[in-house]
Amino acid sequence: MTITVTDAPAQTVHDFLDAFGRRDVAAAVSLASPDVLVVVYPLGVRGTGHAALRPVLADIAGAFPDLRLTVQRVIATGDVVTALVKVEGTQAGEYAGAVNQEKHLDLDEAWRFTVTGGAITAVSAYWCQQQLYRRLAVKRFDQIAIV
Amino acid sequence: MTATQANERSARTAGQVVTEFFDRYRAHEVEGMTDLCSINADFSYVPFEIWGKQRVLRGDGKVGTVGKTIWAGLINSFPDLSNTVHTLTANDDGDVVVEADIEGTQRLAWGFAAPAGQHYCEPHLFIFHVGEDLLIDAITAYWDNAGISRQLGHTEVD
Repeated sequence: MTITVTDAPAQTVHDFLDAFGRRDVAAAVSLASPDVLVVVYPLGVRGTGHAALRPVLADIAGAFPDLRLTVQRVIATGDVVTALVKVEGTQAGEYAGAVNQEKHLDLDEAWRFTVTGGAITAVSAYWCQQQLYRRLAVKRFDQIAIV
Repeated sequence: MTATQANERSARTAGQVVTEFFDRYRAHEVEGMTDLCSINADFSYVPFEIWGKQRVLRGDGKVGTVGKTIWAGLINSFPDLSNTVHTLTANDDGDVVVEADIEGTQRLAWGFAAPAGQHYCEPHLFIFHVGEDLLIDAITAYWDNAGISRQLGHTEVD
């Protein structure tokens, strides 16, 4: 799908997702303000700053070296930009407690960004960790690392 | 404001439609929720995925068929089902994005989760599209089912 970006906040988000899709975590993080508010519900992450955002992106990029991020839709509602994406890749390392069984991941996610002055000032991410675990062959929520 | 402005789609009026949708959801008015949607409104609850031995049930389809069934089933299994809208943003094209908590106490089975009387409260992201007739013509939602399962005391992925 071709995404046409005409809105400034949407352009910032587009650049962020483009960098993340290339596994260029440093470039993606550089688009966020130093005090960006980060909430990743499925991982239980709540924090501020690049130190909160960087490991969220780096963990995915590291565990899935063939990461493919497809932007399905970008919705701009003022300074809030919501991106619907599909994340695909083959697991090559531990991720979110799940040991590597070389399973393929395909997961629909929604990322909601607030963009102020050209920088991402808040990001909250939504996806279903049950779907993720199912694809990575995890059987129990209380024994994620047991194969 | 003129009557014409009140009936024209804008960020404000689209947001009002969706606000009313959540009010009716909170009141368990499934028919009323459906009345706010166009007759062929699209429906996609992305995390809704039940793996059987030979097929996978997904929460994709139409509001009038899949959506109503899921809403009614949720209310049946969680009789005190409620929602709290935290943010609502909209644009003049009819797109409305909502962050809301959905919560309830389980009384009947839901999916593979047996009823244990547990309460859950889980953040959801909803994306609506409101048509020029001020009817919702698409609903998409994302949340983490693992969070809900853990809160309900269900520890198996499937």
